[in-house]
Amino acid sequence: MNKHLNLLFLAIENLLRHRAKTVVVCLCLIAILSPFITAITISEGVREQSLISVNAGADLYLTYDEFGRNAAIPLKHLDEIKKIFGVTTVIPRIIGRGFLQNKLAIIVGINKEDIPDSISCVSGRIFENPHEVIVGCELAKHFHLNIGDQFSMRCQQRKVFTVVGFFSSDSSIWGASMIFMSFRDAGELFGKQDVATDIQIHTLPGHNSEIATDLYDIFQNEAYRLQDKQMVELYVKKGFMLKEGIFSALYVVAFALGVPAILVASGFGLSERKKEIGIMKATGWQTLEVLELISMEQLLISFLGATIAIVLSILWVKGFNGAFIAQFFIAEITMLPKFTLPARFLPLPCLLSFFFAFLLTMVGSVYSSWRASTVSPVVSMNS
Amino acid sequence: MIRTEHLCKSYCHHSHYEVRAVYDININISQGSFVVFSGPSGSGKTTLLNIMGTLDRPTAGKVFMYGEEITSFSDIALARLRHKKIGFIFQNFHLIPRLASWENVSYPLIPLGISLKERLERARLLLEKMGLADRLDHAPEELSGGQQQRVAIARALINNPEIIIADEPTSNIDDETSVQIREFLNELKTRGVTILVATHDAMFEKVADVVFKIKNGRIE
Ligand SMILES: Nc1ncnc2c1ncn2[C@@H]1O[C@H](COP(=O)(O)OP(=O)(O)OP(=O)(O)O)[C@@H](O)[C@H]1O
Ligand SMILES: [Mg+2]
Repeated sequence: MNKHLNLLFLAIENLLRHRAKTVVVCLCLIAILSPFITAITISEGVREQSLISVNAGADLYLTYDEFGRNAAIPLKHLDEIKKIFGVTTVIPRIIGRGFLQNKLAIIVGINKEDIPDSISCVSGRIFENPHEVIVGCELAKHFHLNIGDQFSMRCQQRKVFTVVGFFSSDSSIWGASMIFMSFRDAGELFGKQDVATDIQIHTLPGHNSEIATDLYDIFQNEAYRLQDKQMVELYVKKGFMLKEGIFSALYVVAFALGVPAILVASGFGLSERKKEIGIMKATGWQTLEVLELISMEQLLISFLGATIAIVLSILWVKGFNGAFIAQFFIAEITMLPKFTLPARFLPLPCLLSFFFAFLLTMVGSVYSSWRASTVSPVVSMNS
Repeated sequence: MIRTEHLCKSYCHHSHYEVRAVYDININISQGSFVVFSGPSGSGKTTLLNIMGTLDRPTAGKVFMYGEEITSFSDIALARLRHKKIGFIFQNFHLIPRLASWENVSYPLIPLGISLKERLERARLLLEKMGLADRLDHAPEELSGGQQQRVAIARALINNPEIIIADEPTSNIDDETSVQIREFLNELKTRGVTILVATHDAMFEKVADVVFKIKNGRIE
């Protein structure tokens, strides 16, 4: 026991004694691990928030199906759908995108009584008359919009909207660049009357399969698509896997550059180290004791590096709002996101990064140390 | 106690010519004796001591220690043997840089699980004996050659070894201190420690039980 304590203390002393090397290895570890932890944290946060908003959303989503994709659905069956037993509310929506000057905004056309609870006006009021809109806080801030201001979208210059209120959204990501207007206005803006991009159906629990059968009867031969919460959830998750995949690909490239750096840094001062090991061996140290000491050093340094990396990631996400990295996970935001990023620190990535660090530093040092401690002491002492 | 049979060590230089550092050495050293190897520079003294002290392996021949053929031992077994029996004083000291003298001296005690306090105490005693009481906290870079040599001697003694192998232990030391060191080694000998010294210093031959003259890797 005492022996291991002695070795542990010596490991700490050695890290201090070979200070330059310790710092270089730590920096390399941080450079590799910090983006990794930050990315996972943001991605987990966004995923969580998306799933929450899916859960808070409708039970069924109804669209047309064209070439296997979601397509706009006409409103002619709306009344029939409302009458199906088990259906509580039916909300047709138009969700589209349009440029407001140079910025892409998400336009939501929805009847004013159907606006979800998560959208609340922070100033002004909900739109009531034609051509009135409410704008997400972030977007309003970007264009310095005030209540009463008028603007038009690039796709329909002749249609002028009046800002009557600003809203903030619970799910901060999606609310950031949204404009809410009446269903009718949105239809006119996009030049499509009497269609919705989707129809949200809220139902009583346990009625979904009967409702699906009834919808089948209503739509007869039309190609429509009905998705329930679970499917939407699946899509969201799939979307994340794709984004994480893109990030991973980029990360692998960075990693491939970082690993040699660590290896070089771990091997940095190797001849001095070899000499030291030779002396230790010559003065009575056993091979296993030397290796234990070196493993402890690597363990300490990876612990140090990983801890600093985690702290920096927290700072990156909380302090700098995930600058430069959030764009991988949230569509249509800039390099420097203007809203509070959702983030979720999980223990597993932290453990994983610690393990990673240990593996890297061990690979960098153990083989050479093993060689140095198994050849004749004279050879390593005089190297 | 230490016996060699046809011991040879040669170094290949870029594989076209060969240096025979030691050649066909057959000696027998009994326990508790004071043995001196003397000879001109490059004659193979260091090489021979390293091999007998298990730090290096011969190209041919055998070394026996306590009746066992140690040339066939594994590295791990050799490390154990060194740890239990042998203390080294190297020609170029081989102290660990940036470590205080007392830490250098007590370095071999670390894996034995000996507490910091005791390590410091034991190192202090030895360094005081070496006349370095006021240099406990100095790193090798801050010591003169002779002081470094004395630190190296203290380190060799810290484990109370049965065999001390000293390669030029007085080469950097003034006459007065080298007299002290000779006496010190002689005192160890009276306690039953076997002492192997390589040196140019003719004074050693006076205290030695046996003197081997080495020339061109052979004993004369
Ligand atoms: N690692 C090595 N590679 C090649 N040749 C070596 C090596 N070590 C020693 N030699 C050669 O072996 C011979 C003996 O060297 P050694 O160091 O044993 O001499 P020495 O008697 O200790 O000399 P000195 O009194 O100067 O210390 C020398 O000719 C030297 O050049
Ligand atoms: Mg020599």
